[in-house]
Amino acid sequence: MESMNHGLGVDIAFLLLAALAVVTGWRVFRTDSMVRASFFLLVSFIAVGVIMILLAAEYLGVAMFFMMAVEMTVMALFMVMFMMNPAGLNPMNMVHQERIAIGAGVAGFLVLGAMALLAAFPDQPVPAGLEPVRSLGNEMLGDSMLIFESAGLVLLTTMIGVVVLSSHRGRYGAAAEGSMPPGLEPGSDPAGKPEEDEEGEHHHHHHHH
Amino acid sequence: MFSELFLPVLMVIFMLVVGGYAVAVLDRLVASALGTPQAGGIWLAPMARGAWLLTQHANATEAPDWRAWRLAPALYLALAASGLAVVPWSASLVATDLITSVVLWGSVEALATVVIFLHGWSANSLLALIGGYRYVALGLSYILISMFVLIGVALPAESLQFTQVVASQEGLWNVIRQPLGLPLFLIVGLGMTFWGPLNLADSTDLAGGTASEISGPPRLVWDMARAAMLVAFSGVAATAFLGGWLGPWLPGPLWMSLKMLAVLSVLLLLGRLLPRLAPERCVTLMWVVLLPLSFIDLVWAGAVALWE
Amino acid sequence: MAVNRLHKLASRGSVPVFPVLGKQGDGVLRHLALSPQIELVDSPRYASVLLVAGEIPADRFEPLRRVHDQLPYPFTTLWFRSEPWPHLERVARIDDLDDLPGALVTVHRELMEGRRDSAHRLLPDKPPNPWEGEGDFGQGGEGMMGGVPYGRPMAMNMADDIRDGLTLDSLTFRLGPFFFALPPGMAAEITLQGDLVQTWKTQLAPYPQPLDKVFFDARERPVPIAEVELARARHHLHRLFHALHLAGLENVSLRTLRLAHGLSTSSTLDGLRRALSRSGFFRLTAGGGALGPEQARMIGGPAARAAGMDDDLRSEDAGYRRLGFSPVYQAEGDTHARWRQLLDEIDQSLHLARLAERDKIHTERAGSVETPRGPWSERRPADASALFDELLPGLEWGDALATVASLDVAALADQPVGARPSGESRAVGGGTGSDV
Repeated sequence: MESMNHGLGVDIAFLLLAALAVVTGWRVFRTDSMVRASFFLLVSFIAVGVIMILLAAEYLGVAMFFMMAVEMTVMALFMVMFMMNPAGLNPMNMVHQERIAIGAGVAGFLVLGAMALLAAFPDQPVPAGLEPVRSLGNEMLGDSMLIFESAGLVLLTTMIGVVVLSSHRGRYGAAAEGSMPPGLEPGSDPAGKPEEDEEGEHHHHHHHH
Repeated sequence: MFSELFLPVLMVIFMLVVGGYAVAVLDRLVASALGTPQAGGIWLAPMARGAWLLTQHANATEAPDWRAWRLAPALYLALAASGLAVVPWSASLVATDLITSVVLWGSVEALATVVIFLHGWSANSLLALIGGYRYVALGLSYILISMFVLIGVALPAESLQFTQVVASQEGLWNVIRQPLGLPLFLIVGLGMTFWGPLNLADSTDLAGGTASEISGPPRLVWDMARAAMLVAFSGVAATAFLGGWLGPWLPGPLWMSLKMLAVLSVLLLLGRLLPRLAPERCVTLMWVVLLPLSFIDLVWAGAVALWE
Repeated sequence: MAVNRLHKLASRGSVPVFPVLGKQGDGVLRHLALSPQIELVDSPRYASVLLVAGEIPADRFEPLRRVHDQLPYPFTTLWFRSEPWPHLERVARIDDLDDLPGALVTVHRELMEGRRDSAHRLLPDKPPNPWEGEGDFGQGGEGMMGGVPYGRPMAMNMADDIRDGLTLDSLTFRLGPFFFALPPGMAAEITLQGDLVQTWKTQLAPYPQPLDKVFFDARERPVPIAEVELARARHHLHRLFHALHLAGLENVSLRTLRLAHGLSTSSTLDGLRRALSRSGFFRLTAGGGALGPEQARMIGGPAARAAGMDDDLRSEDAGYRRLGFSPVYQAEGDTHARWRQLLDEIDQSLHLARLAERDKIHTERAGSVETPRGPWSERRPADASALFDELLPGLEWGDALATVASLDVAALADQPVGARPSGESRAVGGGTGSDV
């Protein structure tokens, strides 16, 4: 540590941010609302992101901000929208399967703590002419940039396609109109089809298994 | 120590105050030019309003999330400040010349979604909550488009740093080099700052949306933060597309201020001239029209960067 | 000292007023909107003065108390053509419309400069339901949720989504009777999923709306057609003003109002129409709410004509026939068609008024009249707010409110504009008279 040429301010900032990350991480499990839990987790991640910037990983740190921001918003919103709690403001118990969780937590802490104490970390000061963004890009993607970019685009298209397909509303009206679910076996009746259909009479005897 | 730590902070605070006031005055000027009479003098009215909000009490709702509710306006102001901190006023006059400042602006946009949702959610009130939901539903598309457009300006600069982006416009401003970029970015900017036609989070049909339940000092902070965010956005737009501090005769910071004022005026004028878009139309506009256009903009930017 | 200066500065701004509308109170909005000193606000949290305009019926006292208590301190109230409740201290009552803006400015200044005490809360400040939370997280029962910590059950009533199959938590709430985007006096119980209206139950019908006296006269005796048509155009312009405020077009809405105020046979609609179509009002804004034939017949008037019917009592009047009148109508019957219809009708009314004024033509058929609200022959147009219950489910919130703004559902009052409802001037003891 002494060999690095950073100031006292960086040390103080690191300690404060580390404390913030740990405290907000702990609050995730002690709060009583899903929205609060998600955003405590976000604060914890942001603190880690700032620590990464202090470690001269400027791209990774800043990327952490926006990735976690979007991720936690989506998570909070989906939980609120689907989990039957008026806007997540009614108090909820945020922990379950406590014994397993405690066990996993203790084990994880011991392993990581042992690594921090026992592993030999390289002592490499950041070279003066380092371009962190460029070197990170080369390190992670190298020659495969085109493949990764194409894969990213395909994923985005897939996501949009899935949303479009799963919506009940199609461009030409209700998507389910006139459609038939596939059968459970090849050539069998449409699955889960209500019996009082126009053709219900005809298929009636097939339904007795 | 002074120039490293305090000067940037002072600069950002100065921008927050002056910028917020400029937005308030400019918006009233635009309104009175369009035929809405303004009471009490255009220069004094923002101060009188601020003074009134300071004398008004902050109200309560039934069982809100107090911490989040009171923090959200301040956090939004802090985000606007972070945005202003990476806007360069000249090659050397910039509060934080982060090498990933373009990505930092992207994070500001993403975190703004969180803060706006939190503001609407924590009031424990119906119309505010709908406003928060609406912003999240639309915010994602704003962020995506804005990212693609900003990657476009990062390509010719071969850097994610705003100062480099400006330097790359020495010969030709990006507004000409990438003709789709600025219009796309301005529309997204209206959405991101939920202003005018894209003000769906704090809209009139929700009686103020996420801000419908706040009064007094929190409302003052929220209004200031919204104005400051608009200033930060116009700073980024001027930097990314209008050549930032570049320009003949005048000093750089002055050029930058003029360009920011121009962008601000366009945004405020659009805000007063257009009706509020229906949310569904807004979603269609973003995903069906603007997102493909931003792809084209990106491909265009890449092709031009290779050709140059 | 500094605090004094702050208060002095605060008193120099415009006056934020939250209007609570009683019967015949909505004219106040249109008067105050044109006063630059007054800022009409949509949320009680934004106001410094609560303006009670018009007589509030007893069944809306409780909501009024709740709205009253939502104004942040310091605030005060002003009652316009309405008797202040006797237990309120030092409350101002104003009866003259022209005095109102000045009085509002005065009470706000006095409040800011400390010469007037803030009003007090009327209701006790306690939650509507007792706290029933228990357990470590206050979740009030077994499991992750369960129990009713705020006296309210969890929203477990997940009805099928009627739009896209994405079933969300549904949220039931009551809105009105003082919500600015609903017709004055109307209240509804609404269930939303996301911002999609799942159910809409109109609980309080809007107040009957008074019309210009000329429509009442026209049933009795021949009246100048120019006068009838100008009153009709004015009524429609007033409705457009409210809708444009909702749509976020503040400048054009004020322009509409100014046109309505100075309306004469030489007025034209061209400028306003151009401003509207240029701003994209017909293409960009919220819409929907198409009426079926049955619904259109039920509401009648311009809304029915926007849905393709050409019923108009004016066609049966010889005076109108001499002016070459034939009804205009649209086909789609939705919100945007209703506004196009309204603009066309205003245009037509101005045209008819010009011709009728030149030739001094009077109505000839007594006993029935086509009011701006709909046909009035034997019976006055009745309240049609129940229409919303079937029309609004399935619309997004913005579309639903735009639809509400575009439909004139209130019944017709039995007295024209300006007629004082009987018994209003009765004396009330307790010294609660005007003190401004």
